Amino acid sequence: MAGLSLQHIWKKYPNGYEAVKDFNLEIADKEFIIFVGPSGCGKSTTLRMIAGLEDISSGTLKIGDRVVNDVESKDRDIAMVFQNYALYPHMTVYDNMAFALMLKKTPKAEIDKAVREAARILELEKVLDRRPSQLSGGQRQRVAMGRAIVRNPQVFLMDEPLSNLDAKLRVQMRAEIAKLHDRLGATIIYVTHDQTEAMTLGTRIVVMKDGIVQQVDSPTNLYNKPNNIFVAGFIGSPQMNFIDAKFDGSTLEAGGVKFELPEEKAAVLRDKGYSGKDVIMGVRPENVYDAKAEALCKLTAPFDAKITVFELLGSEVQLYFDFAGASMSAKVGQNSRAAVGDTMSFAFDVDKIHVFDKDTEQAVIH
Amino acid sequence: MAAQEIKATERFNWPVTILLLLGLFTVLFPLYMTVIIAFKQPSEMTNDVIGLLSFPQTWSLDNFREAMRVTDFWRSLFNSFLITAVTVIFSVIIHSLMGYAVARNMNRSKFYRFSYFYIVSGMFVPFAILMMPLVKQTAQLRIDNMFGVIVLYVVFFMPMNVLLYAGYLKNIPIALEEAAHVDGASTWTTYWKIIFPLMWPMHATVAVLTALGTWNDVMTPLVIMSGSGVNTLPLAQLNFQTQFGTNYNLAFASYLLALLPMLIFYLVAQKQIINGVINGAVK
Repeated sequence: MAGLSLQHIWKKYPNGYEAVKDFNLEIADKEFIIFVGPSGCGKSTTLRMIAGLEDISSGTLKIGDRVVNDVESKDRDIAMVFQNYALYPHMTVYDNMAFALMLKKTPKAEIDKAVREAARILELEKVLDRRPSQLSGGQRQRVAMGRAIVRNPQVFLMDEPLSNLDAKLRVQMRAEIAKLHDRLGATIIYVTHDQTEAMTLGTRIVVMKDGIVQQVDSPTNLYNKPNNIFVAGFIGSPQMNFIDAKFDGSTLEAGGVKFELPEEKAAVLRDKGYSGKDVIMGVRPENVYDAKAEALCKLTAPFDAKITVFELLGSEVQLYFDFAGASMSAKVGQNSRAAVGDTMSFAFDVDKIHVFDKDTEQAVIH
Repeated sequence: MAAQEIKATERFNWPVTILLLLGLFTVLFPLYMTVIIAFKQPSEMTNDVIGLLSFPQTWSLDNFREAMRVTDFWRSLFNSFLITAVTVIFSVIIHSLMGYAVARNMNRSKFYRFSYFYIVSGMFVPFAILMMPLVKQTAQLRIDNMFGVIVLYVVFFMPMNVLLYAGYLKNIPIALEEAAHVDGASTWTTYWKIIFPLMWPMHATVAVLTALGTWNDVMTPLVIMSGSGVNTLPLAQLNFQTQFGTNYNLAFASYLLALLPMLIFYLVAQKQIINGVINGAVK
């Protein structure tokens, strides 16, 4: 196993399109790194550059201590799990998994041992002599994983490996991958657009947009301290509520309501010169409370809003309403008696208000 | 009652059925004529319709024996077989490689795109135009023999085969090759271990088309190998057409004999022409 170092990596296509812009990241040994972002943000391109399937336009890529920019995929000592599995359809599951070792001219007994061990871990022992077409989606996915495992590579690359599975299987395989990471102690780089996968699997998450890294951080920090509006909106479901507000020196005013801030946060805003300026206030749906219910935290001044959508999710209820020209959502307890059309009184958790600069969209306070 | 009527009309699409029957008739009728004429004696050949369609008086294999003798059947069969087999093997190997190189690079290289259109445009050049220069060139190069004929066939079938292979490769996901590269395969290994086996349906199609074209061709061996004393089956069958007429009974018996190997080859190959081979490769 080994760490990776990506220094000033760029990907420019001949038509001038820049898919990845100045990507910098140090990945430690045994880390589980997630690349996450919307479609076309450059996450898969970055992964493919690491795999050697795309040329690196400029920058330096190191695996371990070795610069591998011009090293062919096969000599990079990596294994990749493809989004569509890419299993060799004319080979049995056994041969699919053994293929890489056979190319390396590994002794047959060793190949057999490695394949059977991987099959045991992934519970594929009974289907070793089947062809991919005779397998279910979940089994195919596991074969694709097995093909990577038998090689015992320095780095595992996974390109949206669960996106073709149904919801239930995806949750199951997600847990399997987490277990696998613990068991193998491998360095894994994992691309996904699913934020749940990102949050549950990663030791660190790289959020990308338009080829630019927005934030690299642990799942907790990413959720609690997003760098900018994009990250704040991308991580979390439903997404963070954003409201145009004005900072008057101690409170945030929006929709005719003055929302107080903790004094130390207000001081930060004042110090940074935001007094009297327009800002964007961000509040996560779970930090929006029914003002009349008992709350364990300190709440802001209440405001009234008319509920437009009511969603019962079982353990909780999501309410949607309009306030200060923005469409907002709130997560409340399942006992909520609110109904569509009702006017309800809401308030925010004072300590959980984020403030973003209106022009740069960067976070000012978390 | 009404439901049953609807069912009955759904089961029979009469216009299509009639078209199919017509198609079947146009194939079966000449075949029927060939078979019965092959068994008849020249004396049984009459000009009236009933006589023409009637069965032979005796089902004797004499015509076949005589046709085999006249055409030096086994030797001609061997020559035809050799030319066809070598042509098919070389075509499958060379044309699939060309198709692979062209199909995978066409989108990023003008050279390959040009090569593709250049090769495929060869389909529109009729043999008659090439015939005279080719006769001369093969003679000059001293390949006016079986070897020359094989080389020419491999070139003649190239446009169509490259077109077929390049088209088929579009169905083979590029992710498979990427997976093979990551697994440690070179381009060459990827081709032979992954791509070549996946193209079996197309190999079978190419083999059938190339074999049929080669087996039945008269013109190329006639103009290239004339005077070399080596006969292929169609060349030997020209013996039946003399200045004074054609012995249809012997000719048809010989045609049936020549048909059999191709029929067997087709039956074997068509099992390979099945779709769904790449099922399960990618979701």
